[in-house]
Amino acid sequence: MLWLWIVVGVVVVLAVVLTLGYNRLVRLRNEADTGWANIDVQLQRRADLIPNLVEAVRGYAAHERGVFDEVTKARAALQHAGTPGAAADANEGLTVALGRLFAVAEAYPDLKASENFLQLQEDLTDTEDKISAARRYYNSTVMHFNTAIQSIPWLLIARPLGFRDKEFFSAQGDTALPQVSFSPAT
Amino acid sequence: MTLQQQIRSNRFRSGIVVLGFALLLLVIAGLIGLVLDLSLGVVALAIALVYGIFALVRSRSMIAGMTHAQPLAEKDLEPLRRLVENVAIGAGLPVTPEVRLVDDAAPNAFAAGLRPEKSYVGVTTGLLRAMPKRELEAVIAHEISHIRNRDTYLMTMATVFAGVIALIADIGFRSIAYGGRSRKAGGLVVVLAVVGFILAPYAALLLRMSLSRRREYLADAGAAEILNDPEAMALALRRLELDSTSIRYADASTAHLWVESPTDRVDSERRGVLALAGLFNTHPALADRIEALQEAGGFRLSEGLPADEPFAAELGLM
Repeated sequence: MLWLWIVVGVVVVLAVVLTLGYNRLVRLRNEADTGWANIDVQLQRRADLIPNLVEAVRGYAAHERGVFDEVTKARAALQHAGTPGAAADANEGLTVALGRLFAVAEAYPDLKASENFLQLQEDLTDTEDKISAARRYYNSTVMHFNTAIQSIPWLLIARPLGFRDKEFFSAQGDTALPQVSFSPAT
Repeated sequence: MTLQQQIRSNRFRSGIVVLGFALLLLVIAGLIGLVLDLSLGVVALAIALVYGIFALVRSRSMIAGMTHAQPLAEKDLEPLRRLVENVAIGAGLPVTPEVRLVDDAAPNAFAAGLRPEKSYVGVTTGLLRAMPKRELEAVIAHEISHIRNRDTYLMTMATVFAGVIALIADIGFRSIAYGGRSRKAGGLVVVLAVVGFILAPYAALLLRMSLSRRREYLADAGAAEILNDPEAMALALRRLELDSTSIRYADASTAHLWVESPTDRVDSERRGVLALAGLFNTHPALADRIEALQEAGGFRLSEGLPADEPFAAELGLM
């Protein structure tokens, strides 16, 4: 009868280990999902500021139609981006387009001094800071999650259980990925 | 050791410390019950529980009162609130902690509150006047790590526990010294009990301190992770190290809350009396904390500090 007890013992231990491991993966995935929701909120906030900003500049420089179109397109691209990587690219695109818009605004001292424009500019800067903070958090949760499902033994069972690698929020050619687990100097 | 491992091992150790508290409490109550009589032991435990619960419920306002931390007025210091909000987002906290200001020339900061949603971060005006934005962010991230890791919860509990143990030990000791009613046990037990009663408060204090010291390293590491910038934290600590102003309203009962120990002088006097070098520090030496960050992050601070404009200039506080 000894072998039977050994088998039962092994099965129980395995079940416990699997349960704990599975719960850990679920926790890590939820953290990453929350992290993504945080970025999404801020991206939406940024997109919401754009129409007002475009209107403010249009009031002074109605003929600069090309720039307005570009900003509006970049905004739409951001709102329709499906994956974190695509959203990061679109966000980058919006930054470039906004750079043009602000370059146009440079030529109009009245616009630059207007209360409304200053407020919008400040809100935009604040949102950009928040996006980069949310991005740091999201990318570190993604790194923890991906590391977890890529290591043995979870590598073998994560896929069948429906855990897939998550994408970092980083634009193409972006090198500033998280270095959370930086190793000691020695 | 990676930061994740560090966080895990620190959590594990603090769990043990809390267990130690519970055991100590039971042992003291047990000793009272054994040496004096059972009912007194039960009464002592009951008093301890009631006192503990009361102190826990009142802890938030108690700490605000002890540290003289004032809530910010509505539109006041908007950039400071934004900075804290951004760091909280970076830490993945669901709710941004409230900011409170301590009018004090010494640069320092603390976090308090039992639950993350009800926590607040206190900063001194001296901190705003000393730190440039990057380092201020690091200090705030350190405090937010305390909140995220539930350190504020644990430290508040520990403070209350320590007070509770001191209270019971006091009751027991006085009862033996002056009352001495029905002594069932022999002389040896009485001697042991007296030793236990005298040592217990110090044990509690030691536990509380060691709890806080480990957590300082952990919060430093957390801040480095939140900002992805271990150097900023090290620079902030270096700046605190070079500063010699001390906090007006800090005393031994709140010392463990601050980012830098505000009561070094008190500590060293105590150390002299008890000849327990280092054991009664609430915080590890700043140099050790900087060293730990340098080792984990793989960098070396150069001599001197960046001469950036302090954040107070942006707030119009200079």
